[in-house]
Amino acid sequence: MKYYVCIKQVPDVDAPIQIKDGNLIQDTDRMVLNAYDASAVEEALVLTDDNDGEVEVVLVGPDKAKETIRKALAMGADKATHIQISGDEKYDSATYAKILANFFEDKEYDVISCGKQSQDTDAGLTGGMLAEHLDLPYATNAVGLDAEGENLVVKRQGDSGQEMIELPTPCLVTCSNDMNEPRIPSLKGIMQSKRKPMDTVELDDLGLSEDGLQPKTKVTGYMEKPEREAGQKFEGEPDELAQKVAHLLDEEENVI
Amino acid sequence: MRFAVKEKPFEVKNSLIKIIANNMSTLLTHIAISDGKIKRSSLEVLSHLREQAEDHGHTVEAVIIDQEPSNYVDQVKNYGPAKIYTIEDPIFENHQNAPMLDALTMVMEEADPYIFAFGSTESTKDILGALAARHDAAVLSDVSEFELTDDGIKATRPVMAAKILSKTEASGDKILVSVRSGSYDLNESEADSEVVNLDFSADESDIKATLGEIIGSSGDKIDLSEAEIIVSAGRGAKDEEGQELVHELADLLNAGVGASRALTEAGVMDPSLQIGQTGKVVSPQLYIAIGISGAIQHVAGMSNSKVIVAINKDPDAPIFDIADYGIVGDLYKVLPPFIEELKKIKS
Repeated sequence: MKYYVCIKQVPDVDAPIQIKDGNLIQDTDRMVLNAYDASAVEEALVLTDDNDGEVEVVLVGPDKAKETIRKALAMGADKATHIQISGDEKYDSATYAKILANFFEDKEYDVISCGKQSQDTDAGLTGGMLAEHLDLPYATNAVGLDAEGENLVVKRQGDSGQEMIELPTPCLVTCSNDMNEPRIPSLKGIMQSKRKPMDTVELDDLGLSEDGLQPKTKVTGYMEKPEREAGQKFEGEPDELAQKVAHLLDEEENVI
Repeated sequence: MRFAVKEKPFEVKNSLIKIIANNMSTLLTHIAISDGKIKRSSLEVLSHLREQAEDHGHTVEAVIIDQEPSNYVDQVKNYGPAKIYTIEDPIFENHQNAPMLDALTMVMEEADPYIFAFGSTESTKDILGALAARHDAAVLSDVSEFELTDDGIKATRPVMAAKILSKTEASGDKILVSVRSGSYDLNESEADSEVVNLDFSADESDIKATLGEIIGSSGDKIDLSEAEIIVSAGRGAKDEEGQELVHELADLLNAGVGASRALTEAGVMDPSLQIGQTGKVVSPQLYIAIGISGAIQHVAGMSNSKVIVAINKDPDAPIFDIADYGIVGDLYKVLPPFIEELKKIKS
């Protein structure tokens, strides 16, 4: 099967963040492969190892996102396409989906996969949008994938249970990071990644222009979350503490 | 809008009123049904949308898509929509994105909503992007609050693993928005809503995906996103004795049981119980975190709880930074007397 995995470079959400004049400032400018996308890459690699096939990663991002593409290639993806944008645009999920849809228009594939959301914005919209643009059957929030003949079997976490969904190919699936532990690239993988093919494509090549891609949503600023204050912390005899807190919940908080 | 206000103030005022009246738009709420019940988050959204409609001179409507939508009409009327659309088909017994998208499309064509709002459930997340793309609508997902502006909506969204909030805006003549559960209070205001049944029949040959079995369906288990009280277990409560204590406490309090990622990954607890950035986002009145260290990914899913109690033997566990009441101690020693005392209080 031919897998395309759409990946994104995102800020490391674990690095300290500050807000200055409504803007986000990170002490380190560390950018990483979106964790959910890493799971999508891992799963595609496992499935193609078992059943043959090819994994190509596609990334929309600025020049410095090439390091993230290299990471996916070092994990084992066969080749990559970099859809280059300046990085100053304020694209939203819909704009990314539109760019990717134009890219896929003339491609042949069995499965397009991506992370279920981007770990910085947690919007979780691009996958469904792309499926709609390409008129593909799709499933979101996959926690398990399997190939069965021409079909992809998806285990998806729904509201009240795990739904088993069989999708005929070509199809699209968005992946949770609960489905696997993405591999750490080996030294050999890193060396090989440098020789793997990486195409660079401009918006122009996809029949798009920056002016034509005006997002309908925008971020106007950032705020600190009203911080939860640490309350009372009790140490001592377990029996006493247990009784004390039980009564506080009943009498002070009235939540029992 | 530009008006020559100075010359003829009264006429202008009248024409303004007319324009506003002509611009009266429909704000539509999706009423989600799960396991035979209306999701509370849908009614929270409907309550909020009704207030927004009153403030801005719009009209609020609701849609119920289910195998038996009529079961829920009376309850929805209590929240005051002018109109309730119902779409009925056996296919809606379980969530499937293709027929759901077709039904939502049908109601959008009929109601022509300016705003279409949803409670943010897994089923909503499954269809929201595709629905926006199909209708070329602006969309904001998983907001914690939103209000109408002159040309759209402005909203607040938790981002960066819910560590900070982003202020976002959406504009256009069609805007979709999904709202985190617990963001608004329920507010009833009964109306004699007009009920409009839309004739829908799912074309099964058009549905390419096949839904097989549903594993671990919650049945009568308490839905975490709706629960008033949640007892949640982490790595510290991994073994059998810990699990028993957690469930005993939950049963006593009629609470939902949640878990940290460590426990669902270890296979100790069902993945549908996971609370956090990847799992469910919850906002109960009381959250009792047992043996949970408080990793940022977990906190992202529960920090909006009203009262947080943490029991952990590590005094430096980050969960204590956000807990209202922290008990430093061995959960096996703390929970039995805690359960005993709560039994006394409740009896």
